[in-house]
Amino acid sequence: MIVTTQKPLDEILDSISPYSKILVAGCDGCTQPPRGLREAKVLSQLLELAGKLGGKDFQFKVTTVVKQCDSFLTASALKPQMDGVEAVLSLACGAGPQTIAGLFPDIPVLPAQNSHFVGVEDREGGILEESCAACGDCILALTGGICPVTRCAKGLLNGACGGARNGKCELDPERDCAWELIFERLERQGKLDRIKELRPPRNYQARAWRVAP
Amino acid sequence: MSQQVAEPKVAVKLNEEYCSRCSICRSLCPFEAITKDAESGKIVLEIEKCQVCGICYSACPARAIDIIYYDYGSLLNYLKTAEPKYGSDTLVIMCRGSAPDFAGVERLFGVSKFIPLSVPCVGRLPEELLLQALAMGIKKIYLLACDANYCRFDRGSPLTGRRILALNRLLEQLGYGREAITLKRNGLKVKVNKDLCIACGNCVFYCPYHAAKLESPGGLSFDLDACRGCGLCVAICPAIALDLENWERERISALISQLLSEMKTPKILVFRCQWAVFPPLDGESSPNIRAIDLPCSARVDAFHILEALQKGADGVLIAACPEEDCRQEGVSARAQHLVEALRERLNQIGFQDRLYFCSVAPRYPEQLDKELRQFGQRIEAVVSKRERK
Repeated sequence: MIVTTQKPLDEILDSISPYSKILVAGCDGCTQPPRGLREAKVLSQLLELAGKLGGKDFQFKVTTVVKQCDSFLTASALKPQMDGVEAVLSLACGAGPQTIAGLFPDIPVLPAQNSHFVGVEDREGGILEESCAACGDCILALTGGICPVTRCAKGLLNGACGGARNGKCELDPERDCAWELIFERLERQGKLDRIKELRPPRNYQARAWRVAP
Repeated sequence: MSQQVAEPKVAVKLNEEYCSRCSICRSLCPFEAITKDAESGKIVLEIEKCQVCGICYSACPARAIDIIYYDYGSLLNYLKTAEPKYGSDTLVIMCRGSAPDFAGVERLFGVSKFIPLSVPCVGRLPEELLLQALAMGIKKIYLLACDANYCRFDRGSPLTGRRILALNRLLEQLGYGREAITLKRNGLKVKVNKDLCIACGNCVFYCPYHAAKLESPGGLSFDLDACRGCGLCVAICPAIALDLENWERERISALISQLLSEMKTPKILVFRCQWAVFPPLDGESSPNIRAIDLPCSARVDAFHILEALQKGADGVLIAACPEEDCRQEGVSARAQHLVEALRERLNQIGFQDRLYFCSVAPRYPEQLDKELRQFGQRIEAVVSKRERK
C-alpha cells in the first residue's frame, strides 16, 4: 500500500484559499492510513471551521473514489459531481491528483497528502514501514523475503556492511540491520550458503516508467 | 503546620454502626470490592475496586450501605414527578448499557407511552421500589436488562432474572395477574452497510471482542453474540459503513443540534461514557452545559465533535473511564488516542483548548464537576478573547 501523511492544515488552507466550491475526494484504494469517506468528511469539517475563523465561507462537497489511480473508475465517480466545482482536494497518493487533473484539465487539483513509500503496516506496533522501492529487479527470493533495497539504509545488495551494532544499523540505532535479519532468516531456512552468492550491481535499467498490463 | 488533604467524596459507603456482618453484600459483589477483615471480622468496602453497580446497596438487610446515585428515595421521587409528566401508567426501566431510544422501546415492548427510567444496572434496583411503583398506581413494569454475557456488572443481569421470577409469583398471589413485571434483555449491536465497506480490515483489527470477520472483499460480517456495542468500529470505520443499532449517527447529530439550540454561551457539550458518569435523575441544571451519554467513550466520533463546534459549541469535553476501569477491554485508551489526534489538528487551525479528554469514575462523584469547572474557565477565556476582537 502507498503510505501517505496529511499535509499541515495551514498548507492545505493556503492552497484552497482562492476557491469556494471545493470537492474533497477520498480514495478507498491502497492509501494508508485509509483516506476514504470518513477522512474526506473530517477534513472538510476542519477546513470549514478554519475558514469561518478566517472569515471565509468554503462550501465542501465530500466524496470518495474506489481507487483514484484508475482513470476509468475515477472518471465515472467524479464526472457526475463536478458541476460548479472550482477545485478538487484529493486525499490520494500522488497518483490520484494527477489522474483527476488529467481528466479535468480546466480544474485545479490540490493534494492534501504527502506520499512517502510503498509500505507494510504493523498494526500492533501502530507504524507503517517502507518495504518496496519498486526497483523493477526483485531479489527477495535470494534474501529470505527481506528487501535490502528498502530496509538496508545503504541499499546494499551484498551485506552486511559490518557497521551494525547489536543488530541495529550504524546510521540509525532505531533501525534493524536488514542484512542481519537476512542472515538469521537464511540460517533458519538452512540456506545460509546463499549469503555467499555475489549479487551483481543493481540493474537500474530494469526500472520501468511504463508497462502494458 | 500539618497540611490537611481533603479526602475525595465517594459514591458508596458502608456504615459500620449498622453493619451486622452478615456478608450478603460480600457474596454478591461482582468485583470483590467487599471483604471481611480476618482479625476484626469487620466488613470492609474498598472503593478503588468498587464499580458502583449498587447491588450491595439493594441487598443489604440492615441498610448499612449508603449510595449517592439512584438510592431508594431519589428513585421514588423521580417516579412521583415523572408519572404526571409522561402521563402514563407504564414504567420502563432500562439498563443504561442497553437502553434504546423511545422508538426502540416501542418496537421491543409494543408500548408507545411510558415512563422511562434508565439506571446503571437493572439488577441493582431494590425490590421495594418495584412494589412501591405498583402501589402508586403503575399498572405494568417492563425491565430491559443487558444480555447476560454483556452485563457490565457481571452478576446484575442473571440476578435480576431470578428476583423478578420470585417477585411475579408473589404479585400473582396478591392479584396482580400473571406478569406484572416483564423482563427482556437487550444489547446495542453494530450494523453493516456492505455496499460501503472497502474491506480495509480496521474493524477486524480493533474490535476488542473479535466479533468482526473479513474473509473476502464485500464479505465483512459480525458475530452479534460477541459484539457488545461499544461502538469503536463505528467511530473508526474509514468508509462510514458501520453504525450502532439504536444509537445511530443521525440520532446523535439531531441530539447535538437540539442541545446546542437550548444552551447559553459559553456552550460546553460533554460526551460521556455511560459507565464513567452516573448523571443525577433530575438532569443537568447549568444552562451552559449539556451532555450526551454514549455506550462507551469509544463511540465518540470525530464527526460529532466537529459537528458540535460547527453548530456553535464553544468547548467539547469527553468524559471516559480510566483505562483500568474500562469495561470494554480498555478501549477508552483507544478513544483517548483518537481524541488527542483530533485535538492536535484543531490546534493547527486555531481551535486551541476547545477539546478536552478526561478520565473520571462514578466512585468519585465530584470528579467530573471539577474537570468541568477547569475546562469551563478555559472556555470562558477563549470566548471573552473572541468577543474582545
